[in-house]
Amino acid sequence: MTLVQAEAIEKTFAGRGFFRAARGVRAVAGVDVALARGEALGVVGESGSGKSTLGRLLLGLLPVSAGRLRFDGAAMPAPDTAAWRALRARMGIVFQDPFGSLDARRNIGAQIGDGIAIHGHVSAGERATRVAGLLAQVGLDPQRAGAFPHEFSGGQRQRIGIARALASGPEFLVADEPVSALDVSIQAQVVRLLGDLRRDLGLALLFISHDLLVVRHLCDRVLVMYAGRVMEEGPVAALFAQPRHPYTRALLSATPMLDPARRIARIILPGEPPSPSNPPSGCVFRTRCAHAIDACAGSVPALRPMEQGQSVACIRAKDLA
Amino acid sequence: MRRLVWPGLVVAVIVLVAVLAPLLPLPDPVVQDVAHRLAPWLPGSFLGRDEFGRDVLSRLIWGARSSLAVAFAASFVAAVAGTALGLFGGWFRGVAEFLAIRGADVLLCFPPILLALLVVTLMGPGTGTLIFVLSILYLPGFIRVAYAEVLSARAQDYVEAVRALGAPTGRILLRTLLPNIAGPVLVQVSLAVAAAVVLESGLSFLGLGVVPPTPSWGQMIRGARATMEQAPTLLLWPCVTLTVTILAMNLLCDALRDALDPRGAAPPRRLLDRVLPGLLPPPAPALLAVQGLTVEIATPGGIIRPVEDLTFSVTAGRTLAIVGESGSGKSMAALAVMGLLPPAARVAAGSAWFDGIDLLRAPEPALRRLRGGDMAMVFQDPMSSLNPVYRIADQVTEAIAAHRSPRPDEAVALLTRVGIADPARRARAYPHELSGGMRQRVMIAMAIANRPRLLIADEPTTALDVTVQAAILDLLADLRREGGMGMVLITHSLGVVAEVGDEVAVMYAAQIVERGPVGEVFARPRHPYTRALLAAVPDGEHEAEGIPGTVPRPDAWPPGCRFAPRCAHARAICATPPVLEVVDGRDIRCLRWREFSA
Repeated sequence: MTLVQAEAIEKTFAGRGFFRAARGVRAVAGVDVALARGEALGVVGESGSGKSTLGRLLLGLLPVSAGRLRFDGAAMPAPDTAAWRALRARMGIVFQDPFGSLDARRNIGAQIGDGIAIHGHVSAGERATRVAGLLAQVGLDPQRAGAFPHEFSGGQRQRIGIARALASGPEFLVADEPVSALDVSIQAQVVRLLGDLRRDLGLALLFISHDLLVVRHLCDRVLVMYAGRVMEEGPVAALFAQPRHPYTRALLSATPMLDPARRIARIILPGEPPSPSNPPSGCVFRTRCAHAIDACAGSVPALRPMEQGQSVACIRAKDLA
Repeated sequence: MRRLVWPGLVVAVIVLVAVLAPLLPLPDPVVQDVAHRLAPWLPGSFLGRDEFGRDVLSRLIWGARSSLAVAFAASFVAAVAGTALGLFGGWFRGVAEFLAIRGADVLLCFPPILLALLVVTLMGPGTGTLIFVLSILYLPGFIRVAYAEVLSARAQDYVEAVRALGAPTGRILLRTLLPNIAGPVLVQVSLAVAAAVVLESGLSFLGLGVVPPTPSWGQMIRGARATMEQAPTLLLWPCVTLTVTILAMNLLCDALRDALDPRGAAPPRRLLDRVLPGLLPPPAPALLAVQGLTVEIATPGGIIRPVEDLTFSVTAGRTLAIVGESGSGKSMAALAVMGLLPPAARVAAGSAWFDGIDLLRAPEPALRRLRGGDMAMVFQDPMSSLNPVYRIADQVTEAIAAHRSPRPDEAVALLTRVGIADPARRARAYPHELSGGMRQRVMIAMAIANRPRLLIADEPTTALDVTVQAAILDLLADLRREGGMGMVLITHSLGVVAEVGDEVAVMYAAQIVERGPVGEVFARPRHPYTRALLAAVPDGEHEAEGIPGTVPRPDAWPPGCRFAPRCAHARAICATPPVLEVVDGRDIRCLRWREFSA
């Protein structure tokens, strides 16, 4: 059953001009997402691709500029209303920066306990018990609830951030680059923890990452974003085995591989990503695509279903296969 | 905490004496005794008598009551009201922001003394008026400080996190924002109290503050001025008291701010000197040979060694990759070789031979000639490594001009060389106008400006997207092939090592644990740490395996093998420190490696 359903959602940030109204920046354009309970969806893209904005839109932290967004069958209420606040208990977010995402001035027990205190009337003793339980659940010593964030390493802090997101018992969790700031030896621990939690708690998980390899073993499906639009979507295995969009191919080829046998010829993208306030007509990727033809400038290519559950937004997908 | 004791004690004594003034055995401060006017000393009045024969000590202490009461009350009112207005303005923006900030701006437009004079004239002098005037005067400061702090705090993830939990606004403001803006507000309080004491004295001096005969410090200074020639000490005592009080208040608030911050004092920042590019290269093949490099840092807790007994070499045209987790000491090693160690760190042992010069012992002028000339360095963060106020072309030219005169179009030629599109236009741009990838290309252009024979690249692609990283790695490989440049590549990404490295040195806790050709080391790792690192990379069919625990801190290295606490194969024997063995051209630091390689 679909828990989070987004249809053609869009986010435009108003431009701020001093003398004249500046052009708005369209961070996310026409994105569809359907996420069921217990399902993990990876969102992959480079900086500026709109993946973090998409995560915040799906959580309702930012209002959508256009499109329909439903959570558990009901429309997402406007931010900071009573209904919106009540809905916070059912969703959680884990941030990228293990340093900036925790309040340095409050002990971790108090921060994890926030989610419990805000959404229910529980005694202090009951809250402490539940905080200890959450700490144990994310693999930390339950005795350390009184410690401050600076006493923990980056990986441990990320676990604290996960415990805080889980405190209110959410059904939907957005993890925004939760391992990008961590050493590779610690990354695997945190990714595995998220995978275990998703399985044990039946969470719908949106995992945002710039690294295709990280999502590979954690997610069921992947969404590849470029300049605010979805380029390709599909089951992880199929997408890795046969990337169909030229951008997905470039991204995969650029990802450094350990095993020489797995390496593919690098596709170096010429130029720079388009300015989000002035995107090219038609396909946003055409300015850097080696396969672009005149027709690519015509209209924005729709996400069309292909074999093996993949969908690709490229008019030349069939020719290039 | 120790910093709190002395200022705290002084302020406590001053406040206590002022509060307890009615209970102290003091003469009445307003009773006049003209017979003893200006007496320097009398039994029972140690500081003498003033121009009306009143006891000076008694007046100082009673004066503290009015001076401090006015200062504290005014600062308190201003702090509470100003912080609240700043919080609302910063959090709600819109109308609240307009009212708070523009209101503060209007108040700031009045010269403070003039505003005080105006209010006092309208309301008449007196303690109440004084508190009112001073709190109005200090209000804008608190509004602006609180507002600015809220604006920067509200963009932080931890505020977003509490909001995402559905916390009501009041809870966010009081529980999350207020503690985080408390530091600067406290400093502002200390400034306001000190300034209020001074201004109170000033207004009382002008006859607009505390009404005589009620004593206040300002009143006393005013009175003493008339008799300055006959009795200079009368002026001295209130001034000394005023100075000591203000000094103690400032010190106390500073110490309080640090004590309230659970992070404790901030550690000193790493000092990254900019590389100065230099001279042209002689043709002989360059070779960097580092032997037993050890770096020491003296800390309050004792000497720590972030780099220990490091040995490696680089041949021309080859790339040595140094790989390790954060805290393994890899960047410190590179800085030591470049002679760019931060002041707190020093080379304790070892040598680094480059072109017949020991880099670790060479005098600074010789090193400066090498840096950016034969030896160049590229840093991780291309934004903070470029000067934001100079155009790109000027900075590239500067890199050349450090040692030889540049040709007019050389900067543009270099930008073309590192693959920057439209180089003539980009040359006139400022760093903030370029993307991260382009800025890193500019840094590389500056590093290769004088055709170095050795390039040390410290995490050159870590801050970049993978597609940009691929382009930069290709560029570095090209430069190496063409010019026969040797390269030391410091990275935490094993994938990058596999793609561009010839040799790899794996560092863990300040030491090299394994070194050898990349292909061999990655195909048949000998050290359990190398194996664990490789297994942690989410590549291939298996699910990535993490390494339990974290890298130990440099002041708490384990006594034996430093990896033993995290190693799945650790045995009792691992409590003795392993030495670096050299077997078939590969280095290995593990007592049990033969058992695993069998």
